Amino acid sequence: MKLKPSDMLKQLKSIVVFATIALVTICGVTSCGSSNKLSKKEYKARVEQATKDLNAILNNETAWTLEEQQARVNEIKKTDFSKKNPEIVEMIERAEAKIAREMAERDRLAEERRLAEEQRIRELEEQNKPKTSLTEYFDMIANAKDVVSANSAIKEALKLFASPDAVVLIRLNNYGDYDRPTTAVNYLNYIKDQKKVNVSVDNVKYNEKNKITELELIKK
Amino acid sequence: MKKLLFAIAFAFFALTGYQAFAQEPELSPERKQAIDSLALEKVRDLSKYVKLIGSKNTPWSEANRVIDRAEELFAPDAEIGVSSLSKTKVEYYKVRQYLERLMRLNYDRVEIDWYKIQYVSDLQRQPDGTYVGVITIFQTFKGYDAEGRLVYQDTTKKDITVYVKRKETQIGGRLIGFWDVLLGDMRVKETAH
Amino acid sequence: MNKLIKIIVPVVLLALCLKVDAQFIGNVGDVQMDERELYTMTKQMGQFIHRFNYEEDQYGKRLYPGDKDFRSTAKRKDVLPLLFDLNNQRTGGTLRDFFIEDLTKNNQYMEFLGGEWYSEVSAKFIWKGKAVDISMIMALEKEGLGSKWVISNVFFSEFQKYFPHGEMAEREKHFLHPMSHELDFMNIYKVFNDPQIIEYYASTDYLPDYLTLFFYEIKQGNLKFDHVENVKFHVFQIDNWYFEVSWFNRRGYNAGWLISNLVYLKDNEKEALLKIYQPKK
Repeated sequence: MKLKPSDMLKQLKSIVVFATIALVTICGVTSCGSSNKLSKKEYKARVEQATKDLNAILNNETAWTLEEQQARVNEIKKTDFSKKNPEIVEMIERAEAKIAREMAERDRLAEERRLAEEQRIRELEEQNKPKTSLTEYFDMIANAKDVVSANSAIKEALKLFASPDAVVLIRLNNYGDYDRPTTAVNYLNYIKDQKKVNVSVDNVKYNEKNKITELELIKK
Repeated sequence: MKKLLFAIAFAFFALTGYQAFAQEPELSPERKQAIDSLALEKVRDLSKYVKLIGSKNTPWSEANRVIDRAEELFAPDAEIGVSSLSKTKVEYYKVRQYLERLMRLNYDRVEIDWYKIQYVSDLQRQPDGTYVGVITIFQTFKGYDAEGRLVYQDTTKKDITVYVKRKETQIGGRLIGFWDVLLGDMRVKETAH
Repeated sequence: MNKLIKIIVPVVLLALCLKVDAQFIGNVGDVQMDERELYTMTKQMGQFIHRFNYEEDQYGKRLYPGDKDFRSTAKRKDVLPLLFDLNNQRTGGTLRDFFIEDLTKNNQYMEFLGGEWYSEVSAKFIWKGKAVDISMIMALEKEGLGSKWVISNVFFSEFQKYFPHGEMAEREKHFLHPMSHELDFMNIYKVFNDPQIIEYYASTDYLPDYLTLFFYEIKQGNLKFDHVENVKFHVFQIDNWYFEVSWFNRRGYNAGWLISNLVYLKDNEKEALLKIYQPKK
């Protein structure tokens, strides 16, 4: 099929553009960017591009990732701007410092997030781990084979409470009748002495550390 | 006019009468039962403590701790009056004195047990409004020597005074009403059983 | 008849209890204990009153107004004989049956705060260095929000010796004539000549107040309490009847607080007796 002249022109333009880009790139890779080797036109183009890109980096006007920004800066550094454009060298320094700062900040935040996630996972595991409940402690204390094991169970159970003097209320019925209020340590020792549990847990109040500050039991 | 005055007078006395009644509300059978159960539980607690105190298997420090717990069940001026078939004159002991005596009894082994039966009296009011009742229980006591021989046994009827008073206290910013149950004088009498 | 009652009543008791013997048997260590005797024992005077009124069933369960058997006449008739001391001839037989019939026919009940029942506390005191017996009569009195026991009278033979009854003929010889006032009571010294009969010069209806004497002797230090020997109860609450309740500490199914005496009284006899138990009422 025969190409039209307009089509041929379009194709030629594309070839020229690609060739130019290739030439610039190759020259860049082969460090033929020295001003000595670059033409004035090429050098000027580089200055313009470098200035544009560095400004974009310094002013946060680019969508490049930090790594891409660093790569671009490294690319710019391959051209020696120190003799004719020291301002670009200064911009390069500032851009590199900014990129390094932002990378460090990003890494710090990432580390924080990682640690927070680990903590969350640990806490989740902790929550899901089967814990000895208050009622289970009561039974352990009442059925302890001797005083030593009962006292040990009491010591463990007291860890659930904000303090050994945490209030324990014992409700008799639904008419607002209670037994004399007591404390956690006294009540646990009572269970030890009496070897019986005749109450169920009705209501528990916790503090911000998830420790029991008030326990309401109801007679079975 | 006379009828109006009479009506006002009647209303006045009726109202003051109502107020007087409201100050001393009658307890429903269900609430009485809850209070009876609470009083009985204190007596059962005492029986458990007595068993621990009397047992030669209880370490001395534990027995002393339990004497403290048992003493807390009683009103401060409570006394224990003991008589036997051979000695009918009542001997009086303070609570701590009675329990320490029990702890020091000179047997190698002691068995203290309580019959299941108990009798709870009605609660009567004292002039100050405190409710007072008596709970009757029966206990057997057996003392053995080092050779395992039964050297002493008795069955005693124990009549235990129980005081019940309505009190209020502030807990966590709210007013809690509770029944304060304290044991009073205890009469220990040997039975023919 | 009494012998028959003595056989039948324990059998009835046993029959009532056997149904729940599983509940009555308690384990004491390795020994099975039979608690039936303890269940049938009338353990407190309060229990006596509840059983007397049938406000408690045979298992000791409290009955309240509204309960089917509360104060049931039929069940009361079954239980009332069991509240008597079956070894006592005086309280057995027709008098007891008549009492039960009268009680249940007229629906008479004993009330704790109903008055007209007293406790007699027999005690030993030391009086002028020697041990003596004194009976204190106690009555329940309402006060404040509740009630209390008070000493209403005292029986002490030594006090009574001071106030012998005296023959009317002898009493009538001793008086101050109605014109004694015109002579500045110059004859009054004769009143004090014979201290043993000085009360003849008090009014005809004078009765010595033994309670005040008792308190006086205690306050003076002449009388000191030693110990309680025994307690019993005297009940006048039931119209036309008086009965006494005593404690029986024995084995068997007839123990605890039981009726130990029963008397049919006319009202005026009762009034006279009540004046002795509670003079100031």
